[in-house]
Amino acid sequence: MSDSPRPEVALRADYAKQRPRWVELATSADHKDVARLMIGGALGFLFLALLELLLMRLQLAIPDNTFLSPVTFNRMLSGYGATAVFLFAIPLVLGLFYYVAPLQIGARGTALPRLGQLGLWLFIAGGTVLYATLLFTPSEAGVNPLSPLTEVAFLSSNGVDAWATGTGLATLGFVLLSIDLLTTLRRMRAPGLAWRRVPVFSWAAAVGTWLMLFIGPVLLAALTMLLIDRNYDGIFFADGSGGAPLLWQHLSWIFFTGSYMLILIFGLATIAEIFQTFSGKPLFNRGVVMGSLAVIAVVGTLAWMQNMLTAPIGIGWMYFAMALSLALIVPFGLVFFNLISTLVGGALRMRAPLLFAVGALSMISIGLASELSHSIVGAAWNLKNTTDATAATHFALVGGAVFGGFAALYYWFPKMTGRTMGESLARISFWTMVIGILVAFVPLFAAGALEGQVVDAYKFFSGEGVDAYNLISSIGTLILVIGIILTLANAIASREGGPEAGHDPWGGDTLEWFTLSPPDPHNFDVLPDVRSARPMRDVRLAIAARSARSEDAARESQPVA
Amino acid sequence: MAPHSPATDQIDTLLWIGFFAAAIVIVAVNVALFYAVRKYRNERGAEPRQISSGRGVQWRVAGVLTAFAVLVFVVGVIFTDKAREEPSTGESGLVSDKGDPEELEVKATGQQWLWRYDYPNGAFSYYKLVVPADTAVTLNLISTDVVHTWNVPDLAGKRDAVPGKTSKIRFSTDDEGSYDGRAATLSGQAYAAMGTEVEVVSADEYEAYIEQLKSDIETAQERVVGQIENEEVP
Repeated sequence: MSDSPRPEVALRADYAKQRPRWVELATSADHKDVARLMIGGALGFLFLALLELLLMRLQLAIPDNTFLSPVTFNRMLSGYGATAVFLFAIPLVLGLFYYVAPLQIGARGTALPRLGQLGLWLFIAGGTVLYATLLFTPSEAGVNPLSPLTEVAFLSSNGVDAWATGTGLATLGFVLLSIDLLTTLRRMRAPGLAWRRVPVFSWAAAVGTWLMLFIGPVLLAALTMLLIDRNYDGIFFADGSGGAPLLWQHLSWIFFTGSYMLILIFGLATIAEIFQTFSGKPLFNRGVVMGSLAVIAVVGTLAWMQNMLTAPIGIGWMYFAMALSLALIVPFGLVFFNLISTLVGGALRMRAPLLFAVGALSMISIGLASELSHSIVGAAWNLKNTTDATAATHFALVGGAVFGGFAALYYWFPKMTGRTMGESLARISFWTMVIGILVAFVPLFAAGALEGQVVDAYKFFSGEGVDAYNLISSIGTLILVIGIILTLANAIASREGGPEAGHDPWGGDTLEWFTLSPPDPHNFDVLPDVRSARPMRDVRLAIAARSARSEDAARESQPVA
Repeated sequence: MAPHSPATDQIDTLLWIGFFAAAIVIVAVNVALFYAVRKYRNERGAEPRQISSGRGVQWRVAGVLTAFAVLVFVVGVIFTDKAREEPSTGESGLVSDKGDPEELEVKATGQQWLWRYDYPNGAFSYYKLVVPADTAVTLNLISTDVVHTWNVPDLAGKRDAVPGKTSKIRFSTDDEGSYDGRAATLSGQAYAAMGTEVEVVSADEYEAYIEQLKSDIETAQERVVGQIENEEVP
């Protein structure tokens, strides 16, 4: 051992400037950074989707309106559909899974981090391609653009190509990220974390990523076929040369139905985590909830033909789709039963995450109940493509992705940033959103079911009896948008100015609350022994028991007097 | 919509069944949810009951849910099958030359952004379809370009016309009058304005109408041919 002083490391004078934070963030393969970028991107695209929705509802506020031309409306509609599904809902869901699940299973990182990082940037690339169309011609083909309308003969500008490329890039990104996350969940769980002890949210992440691995490639195949049809004289979907327009419907509906299930699975799992934490009780029956989520993923996706009940497919297929859709009553019902029973007997702390979780459950139930009537074949022959369907879908998906997504945001924001989001702004946002969604979409039930108003139309005519419904719906949409923006503003403001949160602000039972807020890059310095599905609770009980023992020992070692 | 045919009567029943089923679910879930939230709000010091469910209650709940699902399915199939029943021509409907009740088959072609109807005698019309009352009408739906949806909710359930396939809509109605329809699948720029009208008249009026239509068309066509032969038009 030499006595000479150790050489000092000389710091360059401009060290602090060498790696700006944004460069670190942009090149990071840490799942937490990737996930935060994905979530932030998703919320940014949510804002754009809301603008598109508002403009459409402004056009539909009064009959015979000339505010938007048919072409502009169709472009706005296509943009809204692509943004809401591909650029907001799915990346928000996957981003939250990607941030939380590795922490919940006690992993130091993910298995294939560069793959996840690539997934994020493909999503960003897809969004860029889609919005670059504002510089030339966006797609006009609608939310699910059916062939042959998407063939070059009918829409010759590059809008549909950009739509296909943009959504394709994003979907490829989702598939790659899912590969990383699923591998992590299968291979990197902490010692003692058997599948039966995995938190519901991480189980939902496993189910969701499996689902994405199946439905993502189906859509990628369909998009490839569409691009070949449009650019290389393909005939996949072109009738007359042996192609089948109906094939696009099958493939695309497999993806959209699967994504619908993905969003609901995410929403229900978020509600499950939050209900447990804020009632202080375990989930009423974990196995049933987890099994039901898996059944929903499989059966729900297999029921894709419930979106094609007016298409020329055989009545047998229609009854098959109806049977599978109605069969979903069982798993969804069991999940609702177990979630509500988790609240019963608890000591509920009505904080923002619980408020949004309760709202999410309510909205999802309204949406799914309405979808029930759409599953009945004969009723669908009246209701399909009416605004009744729009209302049902929005209750379910806004319930799952927005109310549920915001519940997750309020819940895990302290873990991600070290600060809690503002409570009073949260309440104002919540109630505004509740009033907004009810006022926006309940009139559309009436307009669709009673008067048969059709969807995707850039205007409605006076004398059809739907004037009042549409005006009220447009006002409600404005209220809903304001409510959503309040939470977005809350998130932005709280990142720097929110009250500081410790590692476990809510008293949660799962492993992500064991580490710092925000966690170090390697997630955990140490991990507790996992002996049950509620490891944090076991830790708290052990500490309480040990301090009780040490109090007794201290008392015994001192003289009584 | 106001049902004006046997098929839409069944569809109307199904809409009510669906509505009640949905209402039951919404009320059950939300009442239970709000009751739980109100009753178990934390009073200071309350200890949550650490209960987990046994298997029994889960099976019972699953049983109730399964029964509900099966009930809705069975009722749905029964009434949908009733709505699919082939209608038949009645006594006051269309008659053939021999005097037997006859069915009417019309080809309905969807195109951007009109419906074209071709009658059996060779006459055709755009936008408006005239059919006789109390007659089994079959519409053979085809499309010459993109997917269209024929949608006259008062008379029949909607059906898509997909290029390359022929869809069929069958209906019959006793109520004379005029029924509006509106296209229900985005088919391009003028999709919102694409509609149709079905006028139901007595069998005699219908026969007279299509005869007149056919002769009007033939007259117009002969005139154009004459003009071409006389080199009055290019």
